[in-house]
Amino acid sequence: MGRYIAKRLLYMIFVFFLLTFILFLLYQMMPANRAYTDARNEIQTMKNLTEEEKATKFDELYLKYKRMYGTDTDNKLVLYLRWLGLYPFYDGHFSGIFEGDFGFSYDYNLPVVKVVPSHMRNSFLIGIITEVAVLGVTIPLGIKCAVKKNSRFDRFMQFFTLIGFSTPSFIIYIVFIVFFCSILHWFPVSGMKTPGSTYTGWRNAVDVLWHVTLPTICLTFGSLASITRICRASMIDALSLDCIRTARAKGLTEKTVVYSHAWRNALIPMVSIIVGGFFGTISGAMILETMFGFKGMGLLFLNATRTADYDMIMFLEVIYTFIGLFANLVIDLTYGIVDPRVRISK
Amino acid sequence: MEKKKKENIFRKLLRWFVRGFFGLKYEEKWFGKREKVQKEIVYKNGVPDDSELIVSPGRQIFNRFMERKFAVISVVVVLIMFAVVFIMPHFMTKYYDAFTETTQKDLPPTLSLMRVPKELKNNIKMIDSYGSFSVGLSKDGKVYVWGIGKIGATGLNVKDIPEEVQNAKIAYVAAGQDHVIAIGEDGKFYGWGSNRFGQFANDEKTEGNPNLEPVPDVVVNGELDVAHIKKVAAGFQASAILMDDGTLYIWGNKQAYANMDSFVGRDNILDIDFTLNNVVGLDTRQTSVVTGKKGLYDMARTTINGTKAVKMKDFLNGRKIVEIRATTINVCMLLDDGTVALTGDFQLDNVEVPTLAEGEYLIDIEAGAYHYTALSNLGHVYSFGGDHYYQAEAPAVNGAKKIFAGAFQSYAIDENGKLLDNWGLKGYLFGTDDRGANIAERVVAGGRITMTVGAIAVIIEIIIGVSIGLMAGFLGGWVDIFLMRVAEVFSSIPLYPFMLILSSLLAQVSMTTDQRLYMIMVILGVLGWPGFAYITRAQVLVARESEYVTAAQAMGVKETRIAFKHILPNIISVILVNMTLSFAASMQTETSLSFLGFGVNYPQPSWGNMLSRASNATAAINFWWQWVFTSAILIFTTICINTIGDTLRDVMDPKSTNDK
Repeated sequence: MGRYIAKRLLYMIFVFFLLTFILFLLYQMMPANRAYTDARNEIQTMKNLTEEEKATKFDELYLKYKRMYGTDTDNKLVLYLRWLGLYPFYDGHFSGIFEGDFGFSYDYNLPVVKVVPSHMRNSFLIGIITEVAVLGVTIPLGIKCAVKKNSRFDRFMQFFTLIGFSTPSFIIYIVFIVFFCSILHWFPVSGMKTPGSTYTGWRNAVDVLWHVTLPTICLTFGSLASITRICRASMIDALSLDCIRTARAKGLTEKTVVYSHAWRNALIPMVSIIVGGFFGTISGAMILETMFGFKGMGLLFLNATRTADYDMIMFLEVIYTFIGLFANLVIDLTYGIVDPRVRISK
Repeated sequence: MEKKKKENIFRKLLRWFVRGFFGLKYEEKWFGKREKVQKEIVYKNGVPDDSELIVSPGRQIFNRFMERKFAVISVVVVLIMFAVVFIMPHFMTKYYDAFTETTQKDLPPTLSLMRVPKELKNNIKMIDSYGSFSVGLSKDGKVYVWGIGKIGATGLNVKDIPEEVQNAKIAYVAAGQDHVIAIGEDGKFYGWGSNRFGQFANDEKTEGNPNLEPVPDVVVNGELDVAHIKKVAAGFQASAILMDDGTLYIWGNKQAYANMDSFVGRDNILDIDFTLNNVVGLDTRQTSVVTGKKGLYDMARTTINGTKAVKMKDFLNGRKIVEIRATTINVCMLLDDGTVALTGDFQLDNVEVPTLAEGEYLIDIEAGAYHYTALSNLGHVYSFGGDHYYQAEAPAVNGAKKIFAGAFQSYAIDENGKLLDNWGLKGYLFGTDDRGANIAERVVAGGRITMTVGAIAVIIEIIIGVSIGLMAGFLGGWVDIFLMRVAEVFSSIPLYPFMLILSSLLAQVSMTTDQRLYMIMVILGVLGWPGFAYITRAQVLVARESEYVTAAQAMGVKETRIAFKHILPNIISVILVNMTLSFAASMQTETSLSFLGFGVNYPQPSWGNMLSRASNATAAINFWWQWVFTSAILIFTTICINTIGDTLRDVMDPKSTNDK
């Protein structure tokens, strides 16, 4: 097992570098030249210069800024290593993500590391509530559908989840917003708190909760259908296993057969969805957050791409990649916990 | 004995159609019971020979699929959908992506724009239209409004005719962009609709605003001499009343009509009309279109295309202008010799000025938003000019005595005021969007793009995924390991962030909209292939171990032959299922991305970007038709595609029982 984890970790590190390198190359293609902009801004503040002096001074400043930002070379690998913090800058110092320098957000006028945590917390908050709610609803529902396969209830659920599964999530959100905000006026349309309010303590908590409720409900409904279907399918597969027939033949109660024998087997394909879902909460729900103006990771990323806040984009990409790879590792390890066969073979 | 009709393919298709939509009961009623040949097991030399009963797996899958009613309906629906979105655009000859029409913004679904009220149909005195509504006046002085009376989100409705107007006997009406004016037989002046720019009344809000021309006192006090009114006209946010003696009363928004000042207080005007941005008049000299601006409308020509415009003075050559009528951008003049002349620019899509028969000449011209309708001395009607809504295609009418045109409609009336015919824009099945484009047309055009993107993306996924999966499964060893690691890298790329970065990158590169579309297809395809690779590889690995492959190998069949003749057909079914589900998923991804503004962009329509306005809660409720129809069609299509995929998977699974 230890060997397996070590192997996976090594592979993960390799893929991480590969992916970030690809992303870094894309990032480099973006038409932003911070050194040039800064040099030009500085030259504009200087007065009493002839055109000629200006030109030489500009070249000087441009070089200075290029060296400062580490862009004084065209070698992409060097640029990448500098960004990682593994290659020295012109003056010999290291400054990259391994030194904890992830860059500076020009939108927020803060280092990106300071901006992200609050957004991540928000996303995580509604993500976790949603995940718990979704699993709490879908797993019993899926099991019930599978056990009563082809019953009227199952067929109704099949039809219902087919609609839900075929509906793009944003249409579900639109319907919910129209229904709960525009018609019933139960919830606010957007934001995290009442604009201009200075509530504290309990009042504040209630206010935030009031704003967060509808996004959470929307997010929950958005993923109910597909997970119910997956749960039902894997449970049906599990119930048709030979071991279930044997268990029934032994005279075990139906409850034991379903929840102990079949569910354990049905869980194996569900692992990637459950674990992946938990990690996905950190990445945020881009469409939902955009529609509700919810200050989470998704909206942060979207705004960063809209305003071309490159350091922010890059940092978020690193987080996304890392989360994705780490989630894969955890999924693989969980398989080992859930499925003894996997444990033995590795 | 009943004569059996021959079962041919068309009959069979019809039969399926009936079964799909009406059920088995009607199928048997109309086509008779299907003969079920009960094949019996024949014993040959004491050994049962059931080879007759065995059907090929493909045939079995097909038969089982045909038993599922929903699945068959879904196939039909998806095929119809494909046919509609790929064939219909060829018939929408007037459609183009970037079409905008300010006066037709945000109109709800209706087909009533041309529906003259029943009470009015036989005694019409006059009709005027602007934008989305028409106002009509009956011979007994009653006012009717039809079309869409709601003015944006203001809550005002021009269909709410004031009580005093309903009680009074009205002599003239005219329709503006968002207001209606009426003059009673007693000279009293009425107005309703929006008064934000002083369209019909002077109140404290309009008082002292230098950009507004106040309503003249004569009009406000109701001192107009109705018998001597020559014309009542209304424009975008302005109105004018012209008297017999050349006196002109004009008022309204001067920002909309910058040259209004040069008309205020004039008393030598013979005719007046409004384009979208200019007031145009005809003064007593009758030699030019008066605009108060130099160089505007001073070149004239006789046809829309073909003839070169010449200076007005040379063109007229002594002839006089009798009447002028203005559409949004151009002006048509009726000359004293019964011919017409045009001045101003014309947009695309025009019907040419008619050539008249010997002895026929035009006696009246009316102008709509882009088209003109003309009446000849023989009672025939002709339309020409802008034809986007087919409003310039006049029917054959005999005995017309009067014509009215406005907005995108024309009406021909006989001498008794009876409506002979009307033609033009009826309305919009799904309403219009925030740019005034017909949503129904955009749904079709958008469906073509959404479905194309989905289909091409899936084809790319299959090509890459299946070939890599086949390679990995067949070759095994380090090739397998390497390819699967590559697949893993691709599947761990976060889709949305990656797409967002790419499309904001692509936004910097100047690309045509088509190139952008190809990029989206390729990106979706390239990021989606690992799923197919995993499935193909797994299937190949299973197939390699199966008995029939072993048997084939034992018989000495070549490896390549085994791969393509024995293994591939068995994999194809699984690929087919995943292709269907993946198609729906790609369509969903594309719509979501376009909705966010990172996929297909305006002016190209897609089912995703057509919905982007609905992310605003107020717009979503006020303009419900802008998202309800599109999303309903999108959901319906995806449901059908998913149903096909699900059913295919069910019927292909040998473990699943046949009972439903």
